[in-house]
Amino acid sequence: MKNESTIIDVPAESSSAMKGKAPLIGVAKDHTTSGSGGYKRGLSIFDFLLRLAAIVAASVAAGTMFTSDETLPFFTQFLQFQAGYDDIPTFQFFVIAMSIVSGYLVLSLPISVVTIVRPLATAPRLLLLVLDTAALAFNMAAASSAAAISYLAHNGNQNTNWLPICQQFGDFCLKSSGAVVSSFVAVVFFTILVVLSGVALKRH
Amino acid sequence: MAKESTTIDVGEPSTVTKSSSHVVVDEKQKKGIVAAAAGGGYKRGLAIFDFLLRLAAIGITIGASSVMFTAEETLPFFTQFLQFQAGYDDFPTFQFFVISIAIVASYLVLSLPFSIVTIVRPLAVAPRLILLISDTMVLTLTTAAAAAAAAIVYLAHNGNSNTNWLPICQQFGDFCQATSTAVVAASISVVFFILLIVISAVALKRH
Repeated sequence: MKNESTIIDVPAESSSAMKGKAPLIGVAKDHTTSGSGGYKRGLSIFDFLLRLAAIVAASVAAGTMFTSDETLPFFTQFLQFQAGYDDIPTFQFFVIAMSIVSGYLVLSLPISVVTIVRPLATAPRLLLLVLDTAALAFNMAAASSAAAISYLAHNGNQNTNWLPICQQFGDFCLKSSGAVVSSFVAVVFFTILVVLSGVALKRH
Repeated sequence: MAKESTTIDVGEPSTVTKSSSHVVVDEKQKKGIVAAAAGGGYKRGLAIFDFLLRLAAIGITIGASSVMFTAEETLPFFTQFLQFQAGYDDFPTFQFFVISIAIVASYLVLSLPFSIVTIVRPLAVAPRLILLISDTMVLTLTTAAAAAAAAIVYLAHNGNSNTNWLPICQQFGDFCQATSTAVVAASISVVFFILLIVISAVALKRH
């Protein structure tokens, strides 16, 4: 029986030193606490704080418009001069829409907390972005339609003989205009929220 | 001189071992390439859909702006002092509508090159992020114009008895119809913008 055999010179160094110099084929990187998770977590915290601020803005808008009643101190035998949000359908839509937006923001707080705890998960952020975009459009529609009516109440329109009612109902006009401004502030917050979610979603 | 030496039985030829390790490396590289192509494939599809949506939105916004711009009506009767006319420039809200929808249409035309870049380079992040941010701003502008004009159109159709604002549509029927059409077209473009934003967000996300 012939065995193939050869003679090898074993060097003086130990084998463990040789192993240490051998190149590694695949190195597993640990991404969980790297820099990308860190800054995304910061974005999520900022998102959460903005949501809290937007809740305040939206609920203030809804509440101010809801309580913007005014009754004039004079009255005739047949009429009492009153103005309230329910006299104008656009303002009714405004109150309902801002309440829905505030409710949505409160319900989205847990999802925002999930994005803080798991900064690299994309599903909660994508869900928040889609819902925030819809809420942004809804909020903006309510705010700008109420703004158009407020402009009309302040200035009137000569061509259509629509008289400005603010000259008689000063408090009502003040409160409804304040509510419109507050809802525009909520719109700005929503825009920042959408852009935040978009930036936090992107890959590296 | 004493050398350490040992005897080794050579079994299989060494080339077989080498080729199997190469296969492992090649498979890994191939997996990486396939992953990039698949990600690029569906992102490219999203980018093409984005481009087509933009073209449709350009058509609709130009249509909305021009319909509102040309929404004039002169009633056939007149007194010695007045002629009964209605046009978009009688309402500041409609003026705002025409100007802002025209701005939106020109933004859409200017964003077409960015959309083409996302088709050609599906994995690039910067063009998509730029499109997402500017689409969000233009969405708010479009929604503002559409909703404000809708409030005025609603008032023109129904009036308001509490504030003694009379509905003018009963006299100016054609004018009302044209303005209502413009408002509906602008609302459809709002839906398109929401779709564009969602497409950009889905295409941005990592795997």
